[in-house]
This record gives sequence, structure tokens and C-alpha cells, in this order.
Amino acid sequence: MLGWLLEAAQCLLTLAAAPGAIGLVRWIKARLQGRRGAPLWQPYLDLRRLFRQEVIIAPSTSWIFRAAPAVLFGCMIVVSLLVPMLAAPLPLDGAGDLVVVVYLLLLGTFVLSLAGLDPGSAFGGMGSSREMTIASLAEPTVALAIFGLGVTAGSTNLGQIVARTLENPARVLSAGHLMAFAALYIVMLAETGRLPVDNPATHLELTMIHEAMVLEYSGRYLALIEWASWMKFFIFLSLLSNLFLPAGVAATLTPAALAVSLAVLLAKILILAVSVAILETQVAKLRLFRVPELLSVSFLLALLAVTSSVLVR
Amino acid sequence: MDPAYFTPLCTLTSSLVLLAGIAILWRHSLPAYIDSFARQSFFFVLVILAVAATTGTRELYIVAAMVFVLKVVVIPRLLHRVRRTVGADLEIHPYVNVPFSLAIAGALTLVSYVVAAPVMALSDLPTRASIPLALAVIFVGLFIVVSRRSALTQIVGFLVMENGIALLAVLATYGIPLIVELGVFLDVLLGFLVMLVFVHRIRETFDTTDVDRLRKLRQ
Repeated sequence: MLGWLLEAAQCLLTLAAAPGAIGLVRWIKARLQGRRGAPLWQPYLDLRRLFRQEVIIAPSTSWIFRAAPAVLFGCMIVVSLLVPMLAAPLPLDGAGDLVVVVYLLLLGTFVLSLAGLDPGSAFGGMGSSREMTIASLAEPTVALAIFGLGVTAGSTNLGQIVARTLENPARVLSAGHLMAFAALYIVMLAETGRLPVDNPATHLELTMIHEAMVLEYSGRYLALIEWASWMKFFIFLSLLSNLFLPAGVAATLTPAALAVSLAVLLAKILILAVSVAILETQVAKLRLFRVPELLSVSFLLALLAVTSSVLVR
Repeated sequence: MDPAYFTPLCTLTSSLVLLAGIAILWRHSLPAYIDSFARQSFFFVLVILAVAATTGTRELYIVAAMVFVLKVVVIPRLLHRVRRTVGADLEIHPYVNVPFSLAIAGALTLVSYVVAAPVMALSDLPTRASIPLALAVIFVGLFIVVSRRSALTQIVGFLVMENGIALLAVLATYGIPLIVELGVFLDVLLGFLVMLVFVHRIRETFDTTDVDRLRKLRQ
């Protein structure tokens, strides 16, 4: 029973904390760039405003355009139930492993790029084609990094991986583990549309990817999409922090352990969010044709991670 | 040092040596290549120090100090100076483009794992897991030499290859005798200086360091 409550708590945590994480990244970035920056709770205000606003739908769209935000949001909700955020063995662990989680995240990407194509506007199509280019380059990396993690843990089950790494903390510093982390970090930047790949703060037609796809959306549809993409960022951060540094994740379902687990999770996500913000102030956006170079670096890292954890026995 | 930590530490530092070598394939400018090489040599010094601390060989500390002075400080400085006088900053059209180079580097790493498998099966050294990584550094260095046009980049590739050979020596035998090591160092230094002279000559004669232009004789 407690396990199921925990699942619900994880879902609510993701829903509630995701806009905060984005607000934090924006605020730190603004501070580092010498601006005052919007307050941390600005994304919540944005969501409230968007939910109140009128919805305008282009007459050339089909049902895909209206269904996409709900599907995307649903994917993120399901993923938030499957990722071990607070405790390692969860009741729903058997329902989906790492492969399911990654492909649910990719299903969201796919649906959104279909929705970008649907209105038939030039920007939407451009954004979708770019998004698909990046997703198709990022996917092999994700698959390889998963194999690396799965083989060392002996299972692709997320709870199992976390539990095994908790049992053997020295593994955290092994070369394969660190390279898989670096590979997934780069993929996280690409998949959540962060800076070296996509600039989340502009509407410049030459460079935008995510913003180009959602340009036709308004009102509550846009609110759902934005919320879902923030949740995706939050989920990626908690995946990175718990898969690669599981210290603090509760192995027993006692209130004290869960409280510690929540505090440690938020601290780890805070550190990762700060690292993303610092990175975004350091690097310029890559030209679109340089993005494959970055993603092949992350692919190579994942490959080396697999070779150093699999081929050496 | 505890052997339980020694093996992962060795693999980690050797992986960093390999990654610094691969970074040269990823970057586009000569200063970045030279810095990557200096970084790689620094990680190599860490490997030597780890081995020295575990085996207690005193000679290895001397080797580490020499590598640090020569490959982290002196050679990168000389390279930067030559780069400024020659005025070549960008490797504009490598023979193999960047994503494909990276894919080839991955394939070379796999090949070195396959090649090193019999050696690893025979040996019971705690460092045996890193031997394929050292081989991969050699292969990557060779690949830099054959796939890049600028003579300076090719020198960097040669130095990377040399780092790989030295890394293999340290990992597989815990260091060769000091006198041999000294000979190798002098050899590398002299070879490097001769190459620098050649780069100057090429530059004076052909007005470029692009070795693809060295097709016809001039008086």
C-alpha cells in the first residue's frame, strides 16, 4: 500500500517540481549573465496564465494536433511512475524497464514532431525535421548507454540497477559508469532542447527547434506541452542522478529514509540544474550541422562505456 | 595502494588518456589539438603515478617527472610557438570528416579490444584491463597522422602515438628500465625537433603546411 502511495507521490513531485527546476535554471542563468532574472516561480505563473488563455486552432489541423499535447503529457506521467526517484524497489518496476522509459520519452518526441507537421506551416515542418534528425542521432547513444548499465547490473530494470549500484558503491567511479554518465548527459541536453543543441530562450527562425514545433499552439494546449517538456527535463535529471549516483535512494519504505531520499534527490537535481545553467552560459549554440559531431562524441562515449564494462571480464 | 582500487583507477586514467586523444579528432583548431595533447600527457602522468604508488618503484616517479616536464610543458609550448610563427590555426579540410573520424575511432577501440584479448587472457596483471586502451591510443594517434592534412597536426598525431606506446610499456611491464626510458625520451625529443625544422622548411618552400600540396619539386 505504501508503495502505491509512493508512486503517486513521485508523480506529484514531478508535476510540482518540474516548473521549479526550469525556473531555477533560468534564474541562475540570468544571474550569471548579469541580469536580475524572473523569479523562481515564474514558470508556475506562466502555466496559470496559459491555462486561462483562449485556445486558437488553425483550421487546417487534424485530430493529431489536438491529441498530441495529451499524449505527450501522458507519456511523462507514466515515465514519472516508472523512474525510481525516492525508493529503489517500486511496485510498478515490473511494468516497464529502462528500455520502456527511454522509448516512452521518445514517443513524446515523435508525437510532438507529428503535431509540428500537422498544421502545414513552414516553421512547424522545419522544427519537426530538425527534431527528428537530433532524435535519430541521440537514440543509438541512449540504447548503448543502457546496455552498458544493464550489463554491469545484470538487468535492465531501473530498480534493479539502482539497487545493484547501491550494493557496490565503488562501481560509481568506474570508467564505464562515468563515460555512460557523460554520454547520457549530452543526450539529455539534446533531448530536452538545452543550449549547445537548441536555444530554449529564442524564437529565431534559423535556429529554433522545439519552439518551431509548438509555434501553432496556444492556451491550455501550449500549457500542457510546456509542462510536459519541463517534466521531461526533470525526469532526465532524476534519471541521471539516481542511476549514476544512487546514494541516498531509500531501500526501505520508512518515513525517515524517504525524507532523506527526497532531500538528497532534490540536492542532486539542484547540482545538475546548476551545472546545466553554468554550461549554458559558457557555450554558444552549435551550428545545426555541428550537432551531429557533438552527438557522435556522445555515441563514442557510450560505446567506450560498453566496451570497458562488457569486454573486460 | 589497495589493488581493489588500483584496477578501476588504472582503467579510469587510461580511459582519460584515450578520450583526450579522441578529442583531437573532434576539435577543429590547432591550439585545441595542442592543448588536448598536453591534457593527454597529464593523464598519462597520473597513470604512471598510480602504478608507481602501487608497485613502489622509485624509478617510475622520475619517469613521471620527466614526462611532465617534457610532454606537458616543453613540447606543447614549442608547438604553440611554431603554430604562431607558421600561422596555421585551422585544420580546414581533414581527409575524413569529424563524425566519421569519431566512428572510426570507436571501431579502432573495438579492434584493439579484439587484438588484446589473447594478451589479457594470458596475463594476470591488475593493469590488464587497460592494455586495450593503450593499444587504442596508438591506433588513434596513427589515424590522426593519416587523416589530417596539416603537418603540425600530424606531429601531434605522432606524439599521441608515442604516448600510447609509452602507456602500453607502463601498463604491461610496470615501466622499462630507466636507461631505456631516457633513450626513448631523447629519441622523441630529437625526432620532434627535426619535425619542427621540417615544418619550417615546408612552410618556407610551399607557403603552407598542408602536406597535400607537397606534390611537385621546387628549386
